[in-house]
Amino acid sequence: MVHVSARRPRQWLLKAVVAMLFAQWLAGPVIIARADEPQPDPAGIATGDKTSTSDAGGNAFVITAPTDKTAPDYATTKKAFDDFTAQAAKEPLAMKLADNVGHLRIAANFSWTLLTGYLVLFMQAGFALLTCGLVRKKNAGHLMMLNFAAYVFAFLAYYVCGFAFQYGGCAINAAPTQLGGTPTLDHFAIGSGLWGILGGKGFFLSGPGYDAGSLCLTLFEVVFMETAGYIIVGAICERITFGAFLLCELFVGGILYPMFGCWVWGGGWLSQLGNTMGLGHGYVDFAGSTVVHGIGGFCAMALAVILGPRIGKYGPDGKPRAFPAHNLVYVVTGTFILLFGWMGFNPGSTLAASDLRISVIAVNTNLAAVAGAASAMFLWYYLFGKPDVTMACNGMLAGLVAITAPCAFVSPNSAVIIGLLAGILVDLGVLFNERVIKVDDPCGAISVHGYCGWLGAVCVGIFADGTYGAGWNGVGATTYLGKAGLGVTGLLHGDSKQFITQIGGATLMAIYAFGFTYVVFSLVNAVVPMRVSKEVEMEGLDVPEFGLPAYPEDELVDAGSPVAA
Amino acid sequence: MKRIDAVIKPSKLDEVKASITALGITGLTVSEVKGFGRQKGHTEMYRGTEYTVDFLPKILITIIVADELVEPIVKSISDSARSGKIGDGKIFVTALDDVIRIRTGERGKDAI
Repeated sequence: MVHVSARRPRQWLLKAVVAMLFAQWLAGPVIIARADEPQPDPAGIATGDKTSTSDAGGNAFVITAPTDKTAPDYATTKKAFDDFTAQAAKEPLAMKLADNVGHLRIAANFSWTLLTGYLVLFMQAGFALLTCGLVRKKNAGHLMMLNFAAYVFAFLAYYVCGFAFQYGGCAINAAPTQLGGTPTLDHFAIGSGLWGILGGKGFFLSGPGYDAGSLCLTLFEVVFMETAGYIIVGAICERITFGAFLLCELFVGGILYPMFGCWVWGGGWLSQLGNTMGLGHGYVDFAGSTVVHGIGGFCAMALAVILGPRIGKYGPDGKPRAFPAHNLVYVVTGTFILLFGWMGFNPGSTLAASDLRISVIAVNTNLAAVAGAASAMFLWYYLFGKPDVTMACNGMLAGLVAITAPCAFVSPNSAVIIGLLAGILVDLGVLFNERVIKVDDPCGAISVHGYCGWLGAVCVGIFADGTYGAGWNGVGATTYLGKAGLGVTGLLHGDSKQFITQIGGATLMAIYAFGFTYVVFSLVNAVVPMRVSKEVEMEGLDVPEFGLPAYPEDELVDAGSPVAA
Repeated sequence: MKRIDAVIKPSKLDEVKASITALGITGLTVSEVKGFGRQKGHTEMYRGTEYTVDFLPKILITIIVADELVEPIVKSISDSARSGKIGDGKIFVTALDDVIRIRTGERGKDAI
C-alpha cells in the first residue's frame, strides 16, 4: 500500500508535464501574429531604425503626419511634417544614417538594460546571505534551499504566464520605446484601452513574445519579480514546509506580482489615472517601491499571519523573545551585495543608457541607503543604548526600498530626507510588528519592504520636483500645470493631485497584496497545513526537510546550546 | 597522584598554559565547555528584545600531576587566570587511583 501511494504523485506529475508540453506545442502556432498585426522580430534586425532617433529633449527625428485636423496646433505640426518630408526626399543618405543611429541607440539601451538586469540578478545572492545570516543555525540550510528554489520556480511561473499577464498589453499605453517599443505586445486579456487589468500576449514567451525587444524586457523584469519572490522568504522562514513555499513562489511569479505590475508598468488602469480621471501623472512608481517591494512585503505579511509565530517566539506572558542572528558576517555582506545590485535596480529602470538621468538616480539611490542606515542606527542607539548591526542593515535596505519609486524624480537633498524617514519607519515598524500586532518576521521583511515600500510611493507624491518625467504615463507631454517640460511633480512643488494618487495607489497595493494572498493561502492552509510539525520546528528544518544540516561538523556542539534550541 | 581540573576564562588560556608548562608538566587536556557559577549569565538585546545567555563559554583544563607538584600548579593557575572580576573560574583537585599509558602499558607515576 505504501508503495502504491508513493507512486501516485509521480504519475500525476508526469501527466502534468505531458499536458504542459502539449499546451506549449499547441500555443506556439496558434498565437503567432496574424499578417495584419505587428510582427515579432526574434533576430533583432528590424528593431531600432530612424524612428527611434531623437534629440536630448526627446523630440523625435522623424516627424509623423498629424492626424487630428481639429487640433489647435494642426497648422504648425502639418508644416513641420511637410518640411521634414521635403528634406528627407532630398537627402536619402541622411535617412540611411538615421536608421543606423536609431539601431545603435536601441543597441546601447539593450546593453544597459541587460547589464543592469544582471546586477539585479546578483541581488538574489545578497538576499540569500542576508536572510540566512539572520536566522538560527539549525535552519540555515533550509533557508538556502528556499532562496534557491524561489529563483527557479518563480522564474518558471513568470515564463508560463507572468510576463504575459504583466506586459502583454504594454504596447497600448506604455510601449518601452527605449527598447524599440515591443509593438507585438498589444492585447489586454481583461480590460481594454485605458482600463487594462491583465495583459494577454506573450504566454510561454512564444509568438508575440519571441521578439528581441520583448525578451530584453523579459530578462529585466523577471529579475524584478524574483526580488518580490525573495522578500517573502524573510518573513516565513524557519517554519514553512518546502511544498507550501513552492506554491507561494508560483503564486507570486504567476499572478500576484504580474497583475499589479500590469496596472502600474504594463500600461494598466492605475498608470492611466492621469488620462482617465485627471489625477496627476497617474500612479507613478519608477523602479518598484510598491510594484516589487510593497507587493513582496505585504504578501509576506499575510503569509506570516497565516503561519503564526515560531515556537517560543512569544513567552507564556505574551512577551517577545529574541532569536539572535547566527552569522552577522553574512548579514552585512548580503546587505552590501543588495546595495550593489540596487545600482542596477534603479538606474536600470530607465531601460535606456541614452537617458542621462541615470547618474542622478544612482546618486539618489546611494544617498537614501546611507541616510536610512544612519537614521535607523541612531534611533536604535537612542532607544536601546546600543546600535544593532542587523537593524542598521535593515535601515540601509529601508532607505533603498523607499527611494526606489522616487529615485528618478527627486533631488539629492530629498533623497537624503526620504532615506532618513525610511530608517525611522523601519525601526518603528519592526517594533510594531513584534510588540503590538505580534506578527513574527525573522528578518524584518514586512517592515523593510512593505511599510517602506508604501512610504516610497507616497514620497513621489511629496518630493517629486518636476525636473524629470515630462509626458510620464502619457500626461503632459508638451505642458503640465501650465509649464512646458514639467515632469512628475509632488505636493511640495505644487501638485496635490499627484500626492492623492500616490497615497491611494500605495494603499491599494497594500490591501491587494495582503488580501489576495490571505484569501488564497488561508484556503491552501485549510486543505494542507503549510507549517512543519512541532518536532521538526524544534529540531531545525534542515535535516527533516532536506536531510542535511548547513553545518554538519558542529551538530554535536550545537544540540545543547540555548541559542540553537 | 592528583587530578587538577581548572575552569578558566577562554581569554586566559594562553597565559595559564605558559605559566604551568614552565613548571615542568608533561601533558594537559583542554575542553571547551559552557556553564555558570556565581557570575550567572548576562542579558543582551537583539532587535529590541532582551535575551539571556545562561551558560557562558569557559575553558576546562585537566592536568594529572604527582602530589608534590599540586601546590605550585594551583598557585600558578590561580595567579595567571585571575583578573579580579567575577567569572574568573574555579580549580578542583581530586585524588586519582591510577594512570595507564596505552602505548607501553606503564602504570601509576611512570605513566604521567
